Amino acid sequence: MNMGIKQIESVDGPIMTHLSPTQNPYTPHTPADVESMLLDLGLQSIEELFDIPSSIQFTDSFKIPSRSEYEVKTELKEIFEKNLPLIEFLGHGYYSHYIPSIVDHISDRSEFLTSYTQYQPEVSQGFLQVLFEYQSLIVELTGLKIANSSMYDFATSIGEAALLSGRISPTRTKILVPDILRLERLSVLKNYTSNSGFKIESYPTCNSNTDVDELSNMISKDVSMVYVESPNSHGSLEESIEEIAEISHESGSLCCLGTDPVALSILESPSALGVDIVVGDASVLGLPNAYGMGVGLFACRSEYLRKVPGRLVGITKDANNRRAYTLTLQTREQHIRRERATSNICTNQAWIALRTAIHAAYLGPHGLVDLAKQCIDLPLELSSKLNNIEGVQSPLYSRYHFREFVVRTEKKALDVVRFLETKGYAVSAINDHELLICITDTNSSHLNAFVDAFKEAVL
Amino acid sequence: MTFSIPPDRQYSKSHEWVLVDSNNALIGITDFAQDELGDIVFIELPPLGEILIKDQIFGLVESIKAVSDLYAPLSGTILDINSTLEAEPEQVNDDPYDSGWILKIELKDLSEIKTLLTADEYGDQTN
Amino acid sequence: MSNLPHHDQAKWISQSVYEPLLSEKNMTEVSLEHVPLPSNLKRNSLTLPSLSEPEIARHYTRLSQMTYGVDSGPYLLGSCTMKYNPKFTEDVAVLPGCSIHPDREPHTIQGTLEILHTLQEHLATIGGMDAVTLQPPAGASGEFTGILIIRAFHESRGDFSRNEIIIPESAHGTNPASATLGGYNTVEIPSNGEGRVNIDALQAALSENTAALMLTNPNTLGLFESEIELIASMVHDMGGLLYYDGANLNALLGRSRPRDMGFDIMHYNVHKTFATPHGGGGPGAGPVGVISKLETFLPAPIVIKTTSGFDLFTPENSIGKVHGFYGNWLCLIKALAYILRLGDSGLLDASAKAVLNANYLGSKIQYEIPFRPFYHEFVASSGEQDAAEVAKRLLDYGVHPPTTKWPLIVSQALLVEPTESENKTTLDQIAASFNKISNEDQSTLKSAPNSTTVGKIDQATAARSPILSWHSLDPSL
Repeated sequence: MNMGIKQIESVDGPIMTHLSPTQNPYTPHTPADVESMLLDLGLQSIEELFDIPSSIQFTDSFKIPSRSEYEVKTELKEIFEKNLPLIEFLGHGYYSHYIPSIVDHISDRSEFLTSYTQYQPEVSQGFLQVLFEYQSLIVELTGLKIANSSMYDFATSIGEAALLSGRISPTRTKILVPDILRLERLSVLKNYTSNSGFKIESYPTCNSNTDVDELSNMISKDVSMVYVESPNSHGSLEESIEEIAEISHESGSLCCLGTDPVALSILESPSALGVDIVVGDASVLGLPNAYGMGVGLFACRSEYLRKVPGRLVGITKDANNRRAYTLTLQTREQHIRRERATSNICTNQAWIALRTAIHAAYLGPHGLVDLAKQCIDLPLELSSKLNNIEGVQSPLYSRYHFREFVVRTEKKALDVVRFLETKGYAVSAINDHELLICITDTNSSHLNAFVDAFKEAVL
Repeated sequence: MTFSIPPDRQYSKSHEWVLVDSNNALIGITDFAQDELGDIVFIELPPLGEILIKDQIFGLVESIKAVSDLYAPLSGTILDINSTLEAEPEQVNDDPYDSGWILKIELKDLSEIKTLLTADEYGDQTN
Repeated sequence: MSNLPHHDQAKWISQSVYEPLLSEKNMTEVSLEHVPLPSNLKRNSLTLPSLSEPEIARHYTRLSQMTYGVDSGPYLLGSCTMKYNPKFTEDVAVLPGCSIHPDREPHTIQGTLEILHTLQEHLATIGGMDAVTLQPPAGASGEFTGILIIRAFHESRGDFSRNEIIIPESAHGTNPASATLGGYNTVEIPSNGEGRVNIDALQAALSENTAALMLTNPNTLGLFESEIELIASMVHDMGGLLYYDGANLNALLGRSRPRDMGFDIMHYNVHKTFATPHGGGGPGAGPVGVISKLETFLPAPIVIKTTSGFDLFTPENSIGKVHGFYGNWLCLIKALAYILRLGDSGLLDASAKAVLNANYLGSKIQYEIPFRPFYHEFVASSGEQDAAEVAKRLLDYGVHPPTTKWPLIVSQALLVEPTESENKTTLDQIAASFNKISNEDQSTLKSAPNSTTVGKIDQATAARSPILSWHSLDPSL
């Protein structure tokens, strides 16, 4: 029988000295170890353990050479240098705040980083407590009684919220979303729901706020959930959440709000406004912009407890009657309920939730309110400075803005984008004559220079 | 391990017990079933007045490690629900045949009763 | 226990190892009067813990010490591949270029796109696939993506009648959950007497309604599905597709590729096979690879190489999106760093040592292992002993226990996956722990664990009266 025995080359580089000759710096076996283990197993070679039929053996190579740590780091660093170092004034659902150093240092503690889901709570009390504190933070901010310990991201949280509404009202078939919803979120929502028989319909916004009259006309007993965002895709704070929740409830549907923990630090508690589910991206605390990576925030009313997706950490007691933390209500989850699980999620974003929790703890209520206030003050300052430029209407919508706002330019938006790029700035055009401009503590030091560049750009 | 199977009542293959009293019947799950499930934490039931149809799922029992459907051993209308179980589902573990009863129905078709197992027959099944 | 592993959890001399909640240390109410918003939009005040940086550092450091990770000791959790996570990949993930906004135009982030493209290519090569999307943020999300692609493929041929996905009873719970999320009915098939796919049962389950079969290979008993070629042809002959759950790919790295076995779609678990840290439950990433006829359905966007560089591309019949943007980018770059570091020879060595370790450990423990020959993991049965109690007892010996009572085919199952990261001495110590426990009496097992930060946890109370935030905490607890 062809065992497909391969010639294994050794990894070059200075790192291997104490283990040489070996093939992988992360396998600790000495040649003597391997020899003695094989002897115990009555084998000549490790390859004898692979009884793969020869027809499906892979006998070629991947043609990926091994590299030293130094080489990998250098190579990747060099590739990254091909990125243009632009100062980003980009938002649209992904925001950057300064991450205090303690977040990296504490979250990188290897017990946190290298543990897995807390299936053995007795040796996972620390991480469980962190997640319990994260849940408590979200409960405090939303006023809702239940927060899970994370979903993947904002978009998938909206999808899970829609599915939750479907479990609560199984006969309803429609989800209503604002017409300005970021397209990526709409696409994820469709993928999460359309196969379960849901239709997604969008309701109009007017001057960047929900058109409540139109929404009233569209609502019916078929609607399972009405989704609204604040801040919305234009950075405007929604001013009709309470009415939207009322309209939803009158027809027996749920009201779901998309937001984030910094905004929630100053916005009226969603629960007080009648909101049933809150979703969002909690990684505005704890994670810099990471090409769309985040952590899905998910909170809801306590009535839905047994229908909630994702992991929940609870407090109980141990055999000695002392406080203990554990994953609980696991029968909702896929590893027990399989095809009838409340979600297919298993691996989630726990470590990002840990970073969010540390960042929030670091800021405390004073720091959170100050950060949120900056998210109001900075766009106000920038938008009024831009509005002084001829040919610019800023902000386009007369709303309260959070982090970002829409600007209208007489000049083609794409030309403005291209010009600003030559000046070292990244902004995004949302249509022919409109741009979305985002400002936070991480780019605010460039505010005046950006205004100057913008003046030139619209000339 | 031997499980209690009181001879005063009848059983379904899906581990529900039935105690018939003229036109009504009390329904619960057996000692064997509660032991298999382990610590019961939640029981989901339809509202009063709902009609159960024999052999169809009418609710579920959740333990810390499993979820199990409840199948109607007989057809009928729900007359009463053991509301104690809402706060103390452990009653089903502690006393499955008495304080752990689940619901009471008014029977629709008395002829269905003869399809149920006797205590002995059920005992043979669980062995 | 002196000769047994020295991986006991760090603990304090005091009987009550306890770290108060942040809320018990301080709660401060902050007024929002100075916030320039009308009163109907803002809250009156915000109440949260307010602590100094040193207090916060100690709080979390203490909590980290009450957490067991791969760096604490052996982590035998079967099916989760808890291998060592190389430290340098953390440095790679904080390189300045990593912090990029998703709305950057492709021509301004050629480096990022080149890195993603390189990973797509390498994963395609490793799985034998023709194209890869990196978007799914976890294995289960990869499965869901695969299911959506399967649906799109059948529907593109005008075939709307297929409504079933076949899944072996030993499959991961995510398989049926993902298939259901994709709108399919699941058809479960039993294993044969050898723990592998029961060919007769598969034959009986296959029909014109079959959209796909989802399979793990080696399966969750660690067994290689030696009839995989037959299985593939049976499914294909019926017009179905074959989906590979990549959870156990670590066993076969560089030796047999899912494509070679006949699979049409697969997901990779970068947090298992490619050593990105599990982070207490995530994030991971679940890229999906497909054969060429399915490429057109991949989620948008994928990275392509053009004559002028790299670009984002939406495949013609794309299923749309499964994540708000491009998945868990920071995990992806760690996975790429690992692959580049090891190269062919290192990856081949990973599967060699993973399988050697499982077989060596299996040969040393006294519990029965009903199904053989196994690869990177095995299922032992603790027989008369309760597997969950054996697991709790292993904690006292400083070992993170195996997955317990699953798969259900083996009674009192202990699904053991030592990974390639353990050396012979540690494996000997683990085996000694198992063997000692196998001779312990029931009362010893029942009272375990005793050397952990807390004793055995009352799960029933946790689920009967859930306390899920500090707001609902009874002060007596």
